[in-house]
Amino acid sequence: MSLFRWFILRSLRSDLPRTAVTIAGIAVGIAVVIAIRLANATSVLGFETALNAMSGRTSLEIAGAGSGVDEALLAELGWLREYGLVSPVIEGDVLLDPRGTAGAEAELVRLLGVDILRDRPFRDYPLVGGADAQAFTTREFLALLTDPQAVVLTEELARRRGLDVDSAVDLISGDRRVGLVVQGLLGREGPAEVLDGNFILMDIAAAQLALDRLGRVDRVDVRLAEGLDVAAAEQAIAGRLPPGLTVQRPERRGAQVEKMLAAFHFNLTALSYIALLVGMFLVYNTVSVTVITRRAEIGMLRTVGTPRRAVLALFLGQAAALALVGCALGAPLGWLLAQAAVRMTASTVTTFWVASAAQVPPLAPEDVALAVAVGLSLALAAAIVPAREAARLTPVGALRNEDGLAPAGGLPGRHVAGAGLLLAAAAWCATRPAVAGLPVFGLLAALAVVFAAALLVPPTLYVLQRVRGPRRWMPVESELARTNLGGVIRRVSISVAALAVSLAMMVAIAIMIGSFRETVAYWVGQTLQADLFVAAGRGSPVGARATVSADVEAALRAHESVLAVDGFRGVDLAYRDSLIVVGSGRFDVMLEHGNLLFKEPADGRRALAAALGRPAVVVSESFALRFDATAGDDIVLQTSRGEQPFRVTGVYYDYSTDRGLVVMDRGTFATYYGDGRPSGLTAYLAAGADPGRVRQEVLAALGPGRPVFINTNASLRRSVMRVFDSTFAITYALEAIAICVSMFGVAATLLTLALERRRQIAMLRLLGAERSHLRRMIVIEAVALGMVSLGIGLVVGFLLSLILIYVINVQSFGWTIQYHVPLGFLLRAAALVVAGAALAGLYPARLAGRFHLAERGADA
Amino acid sequence: MTRTRRLAAWTAACALPACLPGPAAAQEAEWRQARPDYVLQLPGDHASHPDYRIEWWYYTGNLAAADGRRFGYQVTFFRVGVDARPANPSRWAVRDLHMAHLAVTDVDGGRHLTAERLNRAGVGWAGAATDTLEVWNEGWRVSLDGAAHRLQAREDRDGFGVDLRLTPAKPAVAHGSNGFSQKGAQPGNASHYYSLTRLATRGRVLLDGQALDVEGWSWMDHEFGTSFLEPSQQGWDWFSLQLDDGTELMVYVLRRRDGSIDPHSAGTLVDAAGRATALDAGDFRLVPGRTWSSPASGAAYPVAWRVAVPGAGLDLRVEAVVDGQELSTGESTGVTYWEGAVVAAGMRAGQPVRGRGYLEMTGYAGPPMSEVLR
Repeated sequence: MSLFRWFILRSLRSDLPRTAVTIAGIAVGIAVVIAIRLANATSVLGFETALNAMSGRTSLEIAGAGSGVDEALLAELGWLREYGLVSPVIEGDVLLDPRGTAGAEAELVRLLGVDILRDRPFRDYPLVGGADAQAFTTREFLALLTDPQAVVLTEELARRRGLDVDSAVDLISGDRRVGLVVQGLLGREGPAEVLDGNFILMDIAAAQLALDRLGRVDRVDVRLAEGLDVAAAEQAIAGRLPPGLTVQRPERRGAQVEKMLAAFHFNLTALSYIALLVGMFLVYNTVSVTVITRRAEIGMLRTVGTPRRAVLALFLGQAAALALVGCALGAPLGWLLAQAAVRMTASTVTTFWVASAAQVPPLAPEDVALAVAVGLSLALAAAIVPAREAARLTPVGALRNEDGLAPAGGLPGRHVAGAGLLLAAAAWCATRPAVAGLPVFGLLAALAVVFAAALLVPPTLYVLQRVRGPRRWMPVESELARTNLGGVIRRVSISVAALAVSLAMMVAIAIMIGSFRETVAYWVGQTLQADLFVAAGRGSPVGARATVSADVEAALRAHESVLAVDGFRGVDLAYRDSLIVVGSGRFDVMLEHGNLLFKEPADGRRALAAALGRPAVVVSESFALRFDATAGDDIVLQTSRGEQPFRVTGVYYDYSTDRGLVVMDRGTFATYYGDGRPSGLTAYLAAGADPGRVRQEVLAALGPGRPVFINTNASLRRSVMRVFDSTFAITYALEAIAICVSMFGVAATLLTLALERRRQIAMLRLLGAERSHLRRMIVIEAVALGMVSLGIGLVVGFLLSLILIYVINVQSFGWTIQYHVPLGFLLRAAALVVAGAALAGLYPARLAGRFHLAERGADA
Repeated sequence: MTRTRRLAAWTAACALPACLPGPAAAQEAEWRQARPDYVLQLPGDHASHPDYRIEWWYYTGNLAAADGRRFGYQVTFFRVGVDARPANPSRWAVRDLHMAHLAVTDVDGGRHLTAERLNRAGVGWAGAATDTLEVWNEGWRVSLDGAAHRLQAREDRDGFGVDLRLTPAKPAVAHGSNGFSQKGAQPGNASHYYSLTRLATRGRVLLDGQALDVEGWSWMDHEFGTSFLEPSQQGWDWFSLQLDDGTELMVYVLRRRDGSIDPHSAGTLVDAAGRATALDAGDFRLVPGRTWSSPASGAAYPVAWRVAVPGAGLDLRVEAVVDGQELSTGESTGVTYWEGAVVAAGMRAGQPVRGRGYLEMTGYAGPPMSEVLR
């Protein structure tokens, strides 16, 4: 231990900048991993916590296919009573707009509509404000709710918005505004706990009216009698339910959401490990430098009889020490990052539940354990090569190279061979299919390419070092820099590799996002043909529950410039353990005006025409890929008439959701899922009509204050792209972190090099070199390293982008992305990298300028 | 003639409008008042009368199995109007509240099992037909099968209930004046009220999950109106007795808060041929005897009585078959009362007479009724 303290800790202390950068690198890497892990867990956990609070003591729930349960079916479910208590439920997300609080924003709340006569055994509703809070009988509670305008909300929400009993509030559901009066307040218990108190309770009748869902309930909750086995009861009930209804445990919805988000989470996790990769390179770098600069001491140790294994342990210990400190810093940092990440991913995830229920849980022991396990094992793996090298040194061999600089050596053939093998492995992995819907092999391929790139750095530097520019065009400093670097290729390789890998990832992701963006822009341009789009609420109408009111549709149709109106209606549907969206539109209108882009058959009109008037559908590309369906196949969907096969007549391109879309004609949809109100409308205008004016006129006809969202074609395109860009914000943020860390790596390497070359640099001073010359020399070295990294990064990045777009993306999301290089972005990024490298060289350069021969340190 | 017995529905009716938004008077205006010129006609009037705010169908009876085990039972369906014309078109809008009480007394086991239901009509989970006798609350139901009444109610959780067929052995008896029952000083406080005093009963009693074939006699009441009472009573004691000489007696007293007997106390005597004689407060006497204290509510109920109708030469000792026959209806009505099977023995005009029946006692637990009903 004393040897460790003397040998390793002292060196870590003496080379503080490098130590600090390495630890920072590990810490950031660990932090990103922990942050993404926590953020992912949070989004699922948030949903599950809210789900638990909302489902209360429900053991089983009965749901219809897609759009809830037709209440006419409920009368036939009297036999459910044999299994326990039964309570029909309506749930919805609405905006609550307190009246008279000018300027305050309406906020999203979860509405629960129940028959309180039946629901009290299911959920706790601690009414407060009564003479005796516990004294509310069920009948008194009902009396609070029977009025169609009655609402009960949480104390927390009331306090926050300055509301009390008898306050008037507006509830905005889709494009409707409903005036309500607060009749009671709920304490923080049961459903009132969800979403920071953004919960309101209404009578089931009032909720139906407010949400425009007369005739339907969302589901029927069952609380099994004591002693009944849930699994047995589930099976028995399933056997007795009429076609179209299904029974499941409430947790299953959590599992479906988890599954829905799995690919998204998996990719975020994979991305987070990239940051760790950079930390790994830094550990390798630091340990290598220690080994190289301490050859003499290692030799001494070996001479006095220290066994090889002790030397190996010494350097692995160094890596472990770095890793442990990095983990200790990284774990709490990760928790902080998670908070930010949760906020950023909120816009990515489609449901309000997942988005705002998110409360990052406190750092758990298993998170710390994971951080240490991952950090430590990667650090040890990174250190094993230099540590073994140190252990292999013979006393004589070690003592010979007194100055610590490794010899230039020849072209490292082993590296080239290793890289070749890795690239071959990558090529093989890239052709493997997804594992359980996750692109495991795709990521392995990407990883292999990254390591291959790292291995190729020394040979590349070796080759580049041989190339000599025309002497008179190059300042003497550059020639010096070239020879300097040539002598330490093995050393700088590590930093270059780290930076190159980060840059490669950035390039790859930039190309993928750029391609994706271009593809989506093209798709939007092709498919968004209508002139006006009416949404029932903010956000995308896909799978949304809010509906467009009949009078809004009528006002739109009544406008003289409107030629045709089509409605889109979508419902969430469980399909093979996942959640898909079943949508409907009028295929005849689409045939005449629309322009869906079809993958197969190429002539989409044929697919639409073939699906018209029969149980047939067109499916989105992600559905086709995820569930392995092609035109001509039959898929079986749960409908209100029970399971029903549908013929797939076409596969079309869609980028609105990766959940998988199945679209049928309005008529077919009405037959199997009921003819409800649409969740969005599209309108086609007469030639020459000004969409902006038509929009204004329709809004004016509906009267002021009506929460109707009408987009013109142009504004919808803009907002689609805006959503797109915000979705990928986090990806760029992660990459920026990785690049910053590797920049520090370059700075640290140059610093070490400068320190090691003190004597040599001081000699140059003696030979008449000005400080400015030396500074320039080192900055040129930095820029050269930056440019080499950039070059390698670009080449590898292009390779990686191919894997991302054609393997990982397809396997996780099932989208066809047209390859497109965002040249402008890459050029700007390249300029930034070069500038950043120059910046990274400034500090070592200034330091080197101050060296004098006389001050040669004892241990450098 | 007044009939104040049916506390549970009454409580609901009086308490609910007070909680509802809007003046209670406006609510009252939506409902029809009982009128003296209304003529009861059966079987049509077995059906529901949704124009009136309050309505109930009350079945009680004493049964015996082949092995001699004895049972008492009570099944009650209440309908209380909340909003005659709900503004909300939803089927879940609350027009009426439907409540039901079920009790089975296991005489030999000394047990009294109870259950209750509270529902809105909603999608038909509870309701009452307007064209025939058909009243239900979830799985509990009474309906006509020819002249017979089918009565089914079972509590699955504890495995008890009844499944009975009740055949009238006598025609219906209209109480008060042709079934118009004036309840208080105010002209509108009245109801329409009739009874089937002797229903031959066969069927099954379910106990501990096991069905037992039973036979015996039941009593059915049906009453509807809109506003009933003036809240000055402490409570009431009500008897329905079926005697083995073929006659029936229904009497009750209203106990005032000052301990006096309300002059609206009344009764009806039915002879073997089915002819009814109205009794007023001065025609009979009820004398409480031994009391039983409920461990649940702490209330002390007289479970032995002397019932005398001097004009008919009738003098009976009435005693509960099981002391503990208290109902606590927290979910549906929130009122605690005693309702149970009784046996009667005594003399009529010098001849020994025996009988069975039901006794209801209210206002013994909790605050005075006048406060409960405020």
